[in-house]
Amino acid sequence: MRNKIITKFSARALVASVASIAIVAGVFTTPAKAADPVTIRIWTFGDVIQRNLVAEYKALHPEVTLEIKKSDLDPLNGTNMVTACSAKNGPDVVATEVSYSGYWRSYPKCFQDLRQMKTTGEPSTGIPAGQTASDIQKNYLPWRWQQGVGFDGSVIGIPTDVGGLEVAYRIDLFKKAGLPTDREAVAKLWPTWDAFIATGQKYISKLSAANKKAGVGFIDNAGTIYAAIMNQGTAKYYSNDGTETGKLIYSTNPQVKLAWNTTIKATNAGIGTRIGQYTSDWNIGMNKGTFATILAPAWMMDYIKAQAPDTAGKWDIASIPGGGGNQGGTQLGIPSYAQNKQAAYDFLTWYLAPAQQLKVFKTYGLFPSASVLYNDPALIGYKDPFFNNAPVGKIYAAGVQKLKPIFEGKLQRAIDTAIGAGLGRVAAKKQTADKSWAQVLNDLKKVVNN
Amino acid sequence: MTVLNERERPKKPLSPWKPKKTSAQKAVAFPGVKSLNGRWGYLYVAPFVIMFAVFGLAPVIYSVYISFFQWDPLGSSTFTGLRNFNLLLHDSDLWLALRNTFSIWALSTFPQMVMAIGLANILRNTRLRGKSFFRTILLVPNITSVIAITIVFSQLFGRDFGIINLLLEGLGLNHHIDFIEGVIPSHIQIATMITWRWIGYNTLIFLASMLAIPNELYESSSVDGATKWQQFRYVTLPQLKNTITFVLVVGTIGGLQVFAEPQQLAADGGSSKQFLTLTLFLFNQAFVNNKYGYAAAIGIFITFIVLIISAVNFVITRKISNDGTR
Repeated sequence: MRNKIITKFSARALVASVASIAIVAGVFTTPAKAADPVTIRIWTFGDVIQRNLVAEYKALHPEVTLEIKKSDLDPLNGTNMVTACSAKNGPDVVATEVSYSGYWRSYPKCFQDLRQMKTTGEPSTGIPAGQTASDIQKNYLPWRWQQGVGFDGSVIGIPTDVGGLEVAYRIDLFKKAGLPTDREAVAKLWPTWDAFIATGQKYISKLSAANKKAGVGFIDNAGTIYAAIMNQGTAKYYSNDGTETGKLIYSTNPQVKLAWNTTIKATNAGIGTRIGQYTSDWNIGMNKGTFATILAPAWMMDYIKAQAPDTAGKWDIASIPGGGGNQGGTQLGIPSYAQNKQAAYDFLTWYLAPAQQLKVFKTYGLFPSASVLYNDPALIGYKDPFFNNAPVGKIYAAGVQKLKPIFEGKLQRAIDTAIGAGLGRVAAKKQTADKSWAQVLNDLKKVVNN
Repeated sequence: MTVLNERERPKKPLSPWKPKKTSAQKAVAFPGVKSLNGRWGYLYVAPFVIMFAVFGLAPVIYSVYISFFQWDPLGSSTFTGLRNFNLLLHDSDLWLALRNTFSIWALSTFPQMVMAIGLANILRNTRLRGKSFFRTILLVPNITSVIAITIVFSQLFGRDFGIINLLLEGLGLNHHIDFIEGVIPSHIQIATMITWRWIGYNTLIFLASMLAIPNELYESSSVDGATKWQQFRYVTLPQLKNTITFVLVVGTIGGLQVFAEPQQLAADGGSSKQFLTLTLFLFNQAFVNNKYGYAAAIGIFITFIVLIISAVNFVITRKISNDGTR
């Protein structure tokens, strides 16, 4: 009996309190802002969506809730998108890593064509109303923009950062080996990849016997040269023949053979340590000076600072051989079935606007894809004390502007994986270069045909 | 209650799954089984049947269906008949994956079982202090994320600076072992991770069944003058037969599903696919190479492997239980 009374009473109280909350909420929020509350669901990975900026956007738009879902397994973000697209249900904003660009450009129907969207406008942050993707395209690095364009010309993603790729080198170790340490002079050591390998051999020849036995090398992993050279060309594994997927040219493209042969040459010259990147050995080696150079995208600078804080001031950045480079980057797009396209587009255009990209660069070291910033003193003049006050903004800006657009195809990731494994087999001395290449071709045949 | 006359009574006993539809018969659809006379039974099993149909059966049927296609979930798919299966049986990667899976399974199951029985035997000891502490802590590895385990273990097994290689060097080994590139070394590394994760769980299962062994057996054997080892060998082990079979079956199922550990070591299964397992092979075909139909064919192949192993297990289990009753 007693229980019954209590429940009755509390139920009444609950109804009353809910009602009063509703009234209070109604009275106080409606006049403050006319906009309806909206939730933007974002699928992302890693640190593509930065916490500080999310807080900033929430302050600008209290009515907007950003619901961010991160996936930890690399291919999963893409896999979830495939499921979401075939089920025509899913998020409002999705982050796509550039290695998936080739895949998604074949399926523009999964994305809203951003040329058809118009910004609501936000005078306080300098975003005018009525801007389509075509209007803002001029702000971005042209080849980087192309990675977010579908085969039919529709814009399916706007670039966040651009990786860039330059050589991070250890001043102290260069000095010990009798090499120049000034970044201009260092860059002059290696105008070409062959010169880079020769420099590496020189470095190795100066090493003590004990160091040689301990596996010390010039570059952390010679296999990374492959991707660097591939990105310096004008085509990878596909040529644009106007079709949805493009034409496969991996076996005939001289760039592939050049990149493969140069990497094999570097591997056989023994200039690399054979340590895999992002392994614990790599982190330790970075501290111990096991290698003197790393091919470093801009975002890796932050990683080096975090993993080897004691090496501050011992690093510097010099231009990469062969001219320019890139590794990584992400696009943000809006799926075609998103429920809050307008809110998503407003968020996206704000988040990727040059002003925000500059903030991200300064706090997290992600290099902006907004090329209008490449003349901005705030970027060009930026020097990093950890890297011996190298003008990293200037160096990376010069590097990324040397690249050209590359047509990316559906199976690019799979082809990259197969070739990477082939280089790994040679590095581990499991196979000769010729045998390994034969197996790569065999594996690729399966990738393409099966 | 309606009483049926002779003419209406069905000639054959009705199958309980196909009750006739006339209203008269409905009331006694299951003559003699009063509780089944209503259709409530269906309602009770419905949650499981529906869940199983939606999340278990339907995907299986769908997988079989798409295995006959060059399947593109977003574009157009073409029917290719048995092409996927034909390609699969001629794909050297399949046999490589099969070899790797069984090698990892063997390296993780058998040493683990020996160690788990040993650990359980220690924990069974009545004079051991802090028993419940140890029993609880055994399960900690089991609830640790596989990703975290892989990160820690790849540090331990690192080629240049890993503790295990440094220890081996201390023992006089001249060359560092590359635990990623070698076939057997990489299998040992993965098997160690699996063992570390599951040994506590299996220990508890062995412990539970050891505690169920009647104490009289030990008492009478000690009266007969059996040593501790003899007690273990001739009392404990024979009593554990069924549990060993159970652990073996569960271990086999888990062994065929090894995925996250090799995936975290190297997503492609190693440069020469030295630790590509069956499930990793399937995953990569579907989600890296976008060969969904081909991956479905691999799934069906794995199903057949599981069926064969289940049959073998069944025979062994029956043999053991027959031995037990003798």
